[in-house]
Amino acid sequence: MAFNFNWSPLTADEKFYEKARDLLTTALNKSPKPPIIVDDILVTEFNLGSVPPELEILEIGDIAEDRFRGIFKMCYSGDAFLTLKTRVQANPLNTSLCSKPDFTSPQPLAAASGLTIPLQITLSEIKLSAFIILVFSKQKGLTLVFRNDPLESLKVSSTFDSIQFVRDYLQRTIEGKLRDLMMDELPAIIHRLSLQLWCPDQLPKEEDPLKEDREPAVDPLASPPLDAVDSQGHLLDQSEIAALSLDGSPEVQSLFSQKNMLRLATLTNTNRTLSLYTPSIKDVMFRAWAGVADRVDSHSSPLATPSLARSHSFHGTATTYTFSDADSQEHGHLPTRPSLVSLNSATTGLTLGSGRNSKSGRKKKNRVVNLRKKAAMSGTMSETVSEADDTASDSASIQAPVSEPLMSTAIPEEPELAIPTPGKVRFRSPEEQSQARPRSPLSPPPFSQPSAPITVEQPKVVAAKEQKQKQTVRSEKVPTSTGQWEKRGGPESDTSSVILEQAWIMKMAGEIARRVYDEKRRNPGFWEERDEIPPPAYEAR
Amino acid sequence: MREFMDHITNSFFEATRWNRGNSYSELNATTNDLLNFPLPYGLRLNLSALATPQFATSYQLGAFGSVDGSIAYLYSSVPLNGVVAQSDRVPLLPLLRSYRPLKELGLDREGSPTLYSGTLLYGCMYLPRSTLQARVIRRFTPGLQAQVSAVSSEDLRNGGTVLASAHYDKGIYNVEGLASTDGGLLGLRGLYNFGGDASPADMPISGAAEVSSSGIALEKERIYGRFSVGGELYYGTLNKSAGMSVGGRFATLPAYSGTPLTATLTINPLMGNISATYAVLGGEHCTLASMMDFNVYSYESDWKVGMELWSKRRPGGFLLGAEPESRPRVAQPAADDPSRWKERSFQAKLEWRLDEQELLDIGKDDAGGATPDEHLGVLKARLDQHGRIGLLWEGRIKSLIFSLGAGIDIRRLDQSFQSVGLNIRYSS
Repeated sequence: MAFNFNWSPLTADEKFYEKARDLLTTALNKSPKPPIIVDDILVTEFNLGSVPPELEILEIGDIAEDRFRGIFKMCYSGDAFLTLKTRVQANPLNTSLCSKPDFTSPQPLAAASGLTIPLQITLSEIKLSAFIILVFSKQKGLTLVFRNDPLESLKVSSTFDSIQFVRDYLQRTIEGKLRDLMMDELPAIIHRLSLQLWCPDQLPKEEDPLKEDREPAVDPLASPPLDAVDSQGHLLDQSEIAALSLDGSPEVQSLFSQKNMLRLATLTNTNRTLSLYTPSIKDVMFRAWAGVADRVDSHSSPLATPSLARSHSFHGTATTYTFSDADSQEHGHLPTRPSLVSLNSATTGLTLGSGRNSKSGRKKKNRVVNLRKKAAMSGTMSETVSEADDTASDSASIQAPVSEPLMSTAIPEEPELAIPTPGKVRFRSPEEQSQARPRSPLSPPPFSQPSAPITVEQPKVVAAKEQKQKQTVRSEKVPTSTGQWEKRGGPESDTSSVILEQAWIMKMAGEIARRVYDEKRRNPGFWEERDEIPPPAYEAR
Repeated sequence: MREFMDHITNSFFEATRWNRGNSYSELNATTNDLLNFPLPYGLRLNLSALATPQFATSYQLGAFGSVDGSIAYLYSSVPLNGVVAQSDRVPLLPLLRSYRPLKELGLDREGSPTLYSGTLLYGCMYLPRSTLQARVIRRFTPGLQAQVSAVSSEDLRNGGTVLASAHYDKGIYNVEGLASTDGGLLGLRGLYNFGGDASPADMPISGAAEVSSSGIALEKERIYGRFSVGGELYYGTLNKSAGMSVGGRFATLPAYSGTPLTATLTINPLMGNISATYAVLGGEHCTLASMMDFNVYSYESDWKVGMELWSKRRPGGFLLGAEPESRPRVAQPAADDPSRWKERSFQAKLEWRLDEQELLDIGKDDAGGATPDEHLGVLKARLDQHGRIGLLWEGRIKSLIFSLGAGIDIRRLDQSFQSVGLNIRYSS
């Protein structure tokens, strides 16, 4: 996949510059200025130059029609420049007395009289080098965060270049200010602009501007946008629905439209009552859980809906249901699944806490498409760590009965084996992916384009001690697990998950039986009465 | 309007015979008062009292959006016996007039040093903001006075600042040094007087002016005043910044029979700033002032004009529905109507105490009537280069001294009224 950015039309557009100048001028004059600046700051010249920045895609965590999440590396050493004009107060006594109380002011007669000097500052030879994390979703707009300090160097030339002290001071101050601007202000501005563009309906809700301002500053990896729950089927798992029904906080309410909530409720009820009616939900793409057939629960049977375009099937317990797409089942779930699930886990980890996750009882698979060598991994370390935490707590509740199969699901990630060609990375389409799967990660790619095999890093499912254990057994484990991986292709972790689920179901069944027993002992009449009249929806057909 | 505590502090200086105006920082006090008078902001009520000759209190309540207030206490070791603090009796002219005639230099301070010594303590607390102000003024010898001011507030960088200054006044010259904790600022100011009463050579001229009736018309025509030159120097030890200025003033002495005037010129050689002011007391009812500012480095200029008009009419006459002439008509019968006297005495036979009070009142009223040109209100106005107008109307209604002010920006017609305020003060 390649992106083609056209730099020159952007820079040639005269209106663009006018607009950008206006935006910058208002942004610079918004905050209260220090007393040394006595006039408005005017942006007189602004040019992006003719040299485009270099952009490398390091990692794409998630890609779909309406959302995108990725990490880029940007390098820029072009000829862009920016000229500011303002007037400064040159009398230090004047500025120092400005903010002091009158009562203890020495009240100089004329020593504090002002001398304002027009000042022109030109910023040029800007060198940037940054890791950019870009998260886009139609619901939440565009969030752009710099992972590191983007500013490498900068040349500040001003009216006072002949005075060494002033020049150094200006250079230092402006560099600091620009760093703040890049790290804090710019993401906020971009986020606001994107909201205006894509979801103007979100704007009037921003009654609390502080909240909105702070939002982009939050690391998107720690808190990915809480999106795609209503429009994307895959995120609709039990815990999410439980979150919706349990805490109908205003935050959640604002994320989902009332209509969709009603429809989803209908859908849930449909599942409960085994009704054949499927409400049509607009703009919904049903995504696949590969290997759903293996997850069939004991007390519910696969049910084919009359919908012809896609064959939906409902599985699961009372509230857990998954949508399977025959199409994606064939091709495997690799291109879309990993990030979805990682997003999911991070989301639930953030909003619901892992306690509810473990309650859901379903094994979550977290995969990170690792396209980078180890050195570059530091950027996403926090992500993987948080996922690892999440899944660790997840698996902790489940793994007790079956520990052996879990190891097989933990396909050892071998970043050193799967070193991509450094730097340039291409992402492959699902078809290529499915073709390439049987290939060993070590074998050179057959494509002429520089490409990297996508290693699927199964979650650091394992907590720290397990990791250690894994490392000790890695030498034997690697070939076998890779072999399993190659043989089984798509539903590689299903045996384990089936066993896990069965164990869980057994446990739940035991729990239910115990409760029923308790209840019966407490209120025997009630239960005897009930036994004779089964609810019509649960009658065997 | 001069604040009540400032009024009392001035009274303290007068009681200890300290010439406050003989200082470089007061070089252009006259034009500064005429051109930069503070405008009231919001509604502000002030209750003050000189409870004993040595102790004064002042409570202030302000309401503009939020309610705030301050409590101030003042103690003077010198009894301020002759000071009139009551707002219904305090003479308005010395209280409100901006033009300050020169006071005589303390050249001959005879008498015991105890006449010149005294201590003043002042403290003020601003309530919602938790700001504390304190000031100590101590007069050591007839020529030496020290002053320490401190502010404690959480808004300030180190929680507060302290300014200490020492003034040495020798009449002909005055030197003061100051130190501030704010930026480690050190300062030195000096003023030298010559001409007029300051130069012994000129002393006979004043004598000649007094005996002008003997026939020396030429000497009488000659303008008679005092020259003062001075300078200031500051250095911030912490922020390594410096500042200085030099200045000169010519002001006529009260003995001069012509139009009193004050002219100053200050130069800041570091910043290239030249400022000239001129103030003239055009008769009893009108004071005019102007200021010109020019910077030789940046070619920036500035000007300001201001004026002060005194009114003999009852202030707010149309508000109270009273004619301006009604007051003398009422006052006259009170002064010399025998029937009234008799009526009063008849009442006095019934109530002795009331009679005494009435007599005292009439006596006071009589004194007021004796000075026919007692001023009852003043309108101050100023205009600067940027089209900002400041209007201030001060006067007395009954026993309240009020000041009503507005700031108007004529360049911005959509919101020309920048601020409106009313201060009301009652003191006893």
